[in-house]
Amino acid sequence: MAMRLFEYQAKEIFRAYAIPTPKSILAHDAGGVAEAFKGLRHPVVLKAQVLAGGRGKAGGVVSVSDEAAAMKEASRVFGLSIGGEKPASILVEESYPHEAELYLSVSLDRGERSYVTIATAAGGIDVESMSGKVIRKMPLEGIDEKYAMAVAAELELAEPKASRFASILLKLEKLSREKECELAEINPLAVGRDGELVALDAKVTVDDNALFRHPEFAKLHPEDEFEGEASREGFAFVRLNGDIAVVGNGAGLVLSTLDLVGDAGGKAACFLDLGGGAQQDRIEAALKLANRLPECKRILVNIYGGITRSTEVAQGMLATLASGPVKPIYARVSGADEEAAKEMLKGAKVQLYRTAPEAVEAVVKGR
Amino acid sequence: MMLPKKGDPVVVQNITGRYGRIHTRMMLDYGTNVAAGAAPGKGGQAVEGVPVYNTMAEAVGKTGAKASVVFVPAEFTYSAAQDAITAGIKLLVVITERIPIRDELKMLELARRNGASIIGPNCPGLIVPSQRVKLGIMPVSAFAPGNVALFSRSGTLMYEIADQITRAGFGQSVALGIGGDPINGTTAGECLDFVEGMPETEAVVVVGEIGGDAEERLARHVSKAGHTKPVVAYIAGRHAPKEKKMGHAGAIIYGNFGTAESKISALKAAGVLVAMTPSEVPSLVSRALGRR
Repeated sequence: MAMRLFEYQAKEIFRAYAIPTPKSILAHDAGGVAEAFKGLRHPVVLKAQVLAGGRGKAGGVVSVSDEAAAMKEASRVFGLSIGGEKPASILVEESYPHEAELYLSVSLDRGERSYVTIATAAGGIDVESMSGKVIRKMPLEGIDEKYAMAVAAELELAEPKASRFASILLKLEKLSREKECELAEINPLAVGRDGELVALDAKVTVDDNALFRHPEFAKLHPEDEFEGEASREGFAFVRLNGDIAVVGNGAGLVLSTLDLVGDAGGKAACFLDLGGGAQQDRIEAALKLANRLPECKRILVNIYGGITRSTEVAQGMLATLASGPVKPIYARVSGADEEAAKEMLKGAKVQLYRTAPEAVEAVVKGR
Repeated sequence: MMLPKKGDPVVVQNITGRYGRIHTRMMLDYGTNVAAGAAPGKGGQAVEGVPVYNTMAEAVGKTGAKASVVFVPAEFTYSAAQDAITAGIKLLVVITERIPIRDELKMLELARRNGASIIGPNCPGLIVPSQRVKLGIMPVSAFAPGNVALFSRSGTLMYEIADQITRAGFGQSVALGIGGDPINGTTAGECLDFVEGMPETEAVVVVGEIGGDAEERLARHVSKAGHTKPVVAYIAGRHAPKEKKMGHAGAIIYGNFGTAESKISALKAAGVLVAMTPSEVPSLVSRALGRR
């Protein structure tokens, strides 16, 4: 659910805020790439549209100068798996000759509890390792030209670059504030031969808790079947690539259960947090979802009861078991009514354990 | 920040909502003096015998409360906080999750300007077992009076670890939820400063998780501040994937930023005893107390 936008979506927003970007066309297949090639100035860059990082290293960005090469490279790029992600589209973009690259972002600094501008006079590479970084806090209500020009001065930009840079920073901050972004990044911000500044890449992550104010983002991301169901149920759900579905109440508790599974040599099939109240129907919905994951072989349930009655959890398990074949369930359920819950589950196909480490050991060994 | 004492009046915001109602009952049962509730348009009603007012100004005016517990839905939390702070509330315990980041930052700025503290958001609240006072949603069975201060980014993990600390024969001087969001009203470092002046606290347990650099900052703070109370930590998420929000908005690793490894090594370097699992915490607490 992290709302990172694809580059082409981020660039659409950039254009709406008049941040200069190269001319580009989005293509969904090799034919579309060839078509786009004809409509643009050559050479062009084919850019795989994926959310995973490291697409350049994975061969997902390539420059081509004739149509045959565009077709051939497009087929190759569509066949890539970049961090497990297959590109659904390629952005075909006019290549922009430039002399230098800058880095500019507006992002949330969690530790400082503030938005910050980060800029350097050397973009295009890993910003974490950059020296000479300018980091400047920004007021919540926005920045003014003086602030923007001060950042440009710190980067030692000469005119007309300084004014152009300041103008882009003002627009990027406005965009970040109005669209409620956690990150709005231009890397690299290219400096053309004529001193023009152009955003060659765009990375935007929006605050998914603010989506109720931004209907324009509602349908940006296709979800997989299971993620869609989990989000309708109000579960926090992350699909993983192992075979043990991990279900619990509370993000921290489920996270710590994943660690126990990993330490015991097991691999989790999913992270599923039921949320605070774990009533019968929620338990049932969660178990049924976990049970349907094709890669799931066993289900681990870790509930810290507290306010939730353990008997409710037991009822949810029994209802799930009554509904059809269910993969083996290993459970630790602590809290109010613990003993009554154990009594209810006697004879049911659920292995109950006193502590989380015991349940984890059993589920990993598959006993 | 001032911890609530037995008998201090407390207001519940959105007391007429489902969670406000349930937890008002449970707070009253534990011993908290829930003196008033606030809910726009619901003034004149009573919830669990607690009078409801339309505004925080009225609720505070009638009770003299300095603290409130906020169960207001995310879309309206900022204006509820504004209502509370302008009415004179000095301690806001915000249970609500999914509040937009910019609203959280605005809330914090307002609190700072008015000398108020915010606990949370997206947290289970706080409990002081010796006073039988809780401003929050935690199950009280996990807690007992004692000398360990417990601070946690996660709710259920706080209960789990409190339970283990209690079963091991210790108890809590205070337990407080820092919150699962990227922005926390009160940070672990601020909590540590606070308990330094709290004689009944002899050791501190901090429960962290992946995402952000709160634990790295805490480690630097521990090294610099020269506090006298030993710190034990547990960090969840050593086996979490990158670039995925793990339930909490704040629990996400970007690249190499926010990993459990980075937090654990920073804390260890600062002399913090780090537990690898929740069940290791009590023995480390015992060791920490022995060291003093």
